[in-house]
Amino acid sequence: MTRTSVGVVSPPLFLLLALAGCGGSPAKPAGPPRIAVIISTLNNPWFVVLGEAAKEHATRLGYDAVVFDSQNDPAKEAAHFENVIASRFAAVLFNPTDADGSIAYVRRAKQSGIPVFCMDREINATDAAVSQILSDNYSGCVALGKYFVKQVGESGKYAELLGLVGDNNTWNRSKGFHSVVDRYPDLKMVAQQSADFDRAKALEVMEAILQANPDIDAVFCGNDAMAMGAYQALLAAGKDKQVMVFGFDGADDVVQLVAEGKIVATAMQFPKLMARTAAEMADQYLKGDREMPQKIPVAVELVHQGNADKFGDYGRKDAD
Amino acid sequence: MAGRRRWITGTTAAAGTAVLLYFLPLFHVVPLEQAGQRAAAAAYDPVAFVERFWTGQLIPGAARAVDAAELVAAVQQDRQLARETHGRRVGLGGAYYYFIAGSGRVVAVDRNSVGLALCDDQQQVQVLLEAGPIFGNAVRDGTGLLDVNDFANSQDFNALAAEINRRIEQQVLPALRTGAVIGATVRFVGCAEILDEDTDLSPLRIVPFLVETP
Repeated sequence: MTRTSVGVVSPPLFLLLALAGCGGSPAKPAGPPRIAVIISTLNNPWFVVLGEAAKEHATRLGYDAVVFDSQNDPAKEAAHFENVIASRFAAVLFNPTDADGSIAYVRRAKQSGIPVFCMDREINATDAAVSQILSDNYSGCVALGKYFVKQVGESGKYAELLGLVGDNNTWNRSKGFHSVVDRYPDLKMVAQQSADFDRAKALEVMEAILQANPDIDAVFCGNDAMAMGAYQALLAAGKDKQVMVFGFDGADDVVQLVAEGKIVATAMQFPKLMARTAAEMADQYLKGDREMPQKIPVAVELVHQGNADKFGDYGRKDAD
Repeated sequence: MAGRRRWITGTTAAAGTAVLLYFLPLFHVVPLEQAGQRAAAAAYDPVAFVERFWTGQLIPGAARAVDAAELVAAVQQDRQLARETHGRRVGLGGAYYYFIAGSGRVVAVDRNSVGLALCDDQQQVQVLLEAGPIFGNAVRDGTGLLDVNDFANSQDFNALAAEINRRIEQQVLPALRTGAVIGATVRFVGCAEILDEDTDLSPLRIVPFLVETP
């Protein structure tokens, strides 16, 4: 009888035990306080820069910073948070995998007294993270959309490569772009597919799009990794001169190709500035400052062949 | 024996029910604040929001705008001081906004804009009123009446920009395009976004949300 009872209640019991374990207060580790930098994926150079910059600034401020790679996998992200909470990190600089799915982890950290600062990607809650430092993707893509119309013209065929469909940035970029381009009815979007912000996947998706639509004039990509993949596919198909490529991020390799006139434009979204701001805010919070805005938009700047020389190293060359 | 069977049946049923309820709970306990955010997000309607904002805040808020002639003079004198005195910056980055009201004489008209001179003795375009498709966040962010922190997610906030622009195109620009003939006087209230001070300050490009023509 006892064995049967234990068998029935074991899932919730184990859950309760696990939660009790997570909520406990083990002794804090010796040495400088630790800051966790949890990044959605380190398979994309842009996020590597974001993560490394966050680590560098946290270290400079006197913390022991550890970078965690979620590999775009919510389960891995959840495990990182469990680890961070159990190990009593002082704060989390967080680049989420999913605007809705990641909220629960941020709330659990908050309940455990660990402040979370979102970088670049948003969570759809304003009562979980201390602050969210976010690129103004929509405005950036409005500027990109205007430049797209200027370069492609008011008529033509184009394709769009979307990022991760669960990420707000994907839709803010797409909607910003379409808020402009859709006003020109003779600009026809003949394909719109997700390539998950991934270069290799973008190459495959672009190859498939070219099979079905060999006569497109342009492709708008929701990030620079996908722009590189699309450009690679166009190069292999001998269509790199025919199809104009537009990216978003301001990755070094794409800025270089913009300067060379091979990719038409991208938008610089300043990962180092976002990382530095997040690290500084975490430091101020841990020193007692509680007056922090929930969201801090970071302006995005259009990069085209005419001004590409002013940009590099994931920012403006003339910035401090 | 029968009692033992009943006990096994009852226990199995209880176990099955417990497992079922574990995976498919009858209710979830959600903090009030979180529930409020979910309800607000579900009820969010940008068209209705902008309707209320337009009549309740935007039009009455026009009194807060800086006079266009005063601003143009201030920018000519010291653009950094003008920015600090009259400009509005949102978040981090180089772009900023002016919230502007004024009147001027039409000295140029093209497909997407109306050029105004602000002084009687001036023939050059000093401000351009956008008259074509309206893009971006100039009015949403330029007045200081809306705050991103009041919205659960940025997609909702961006939907406001699109709706404000749509309303301007449908309700404001037709009168501007009809009434803006060379020599006519136009009174306006609107916002300008300054991305590049070398190109966007002279002339100021204003997205008008209120226009009066003769």
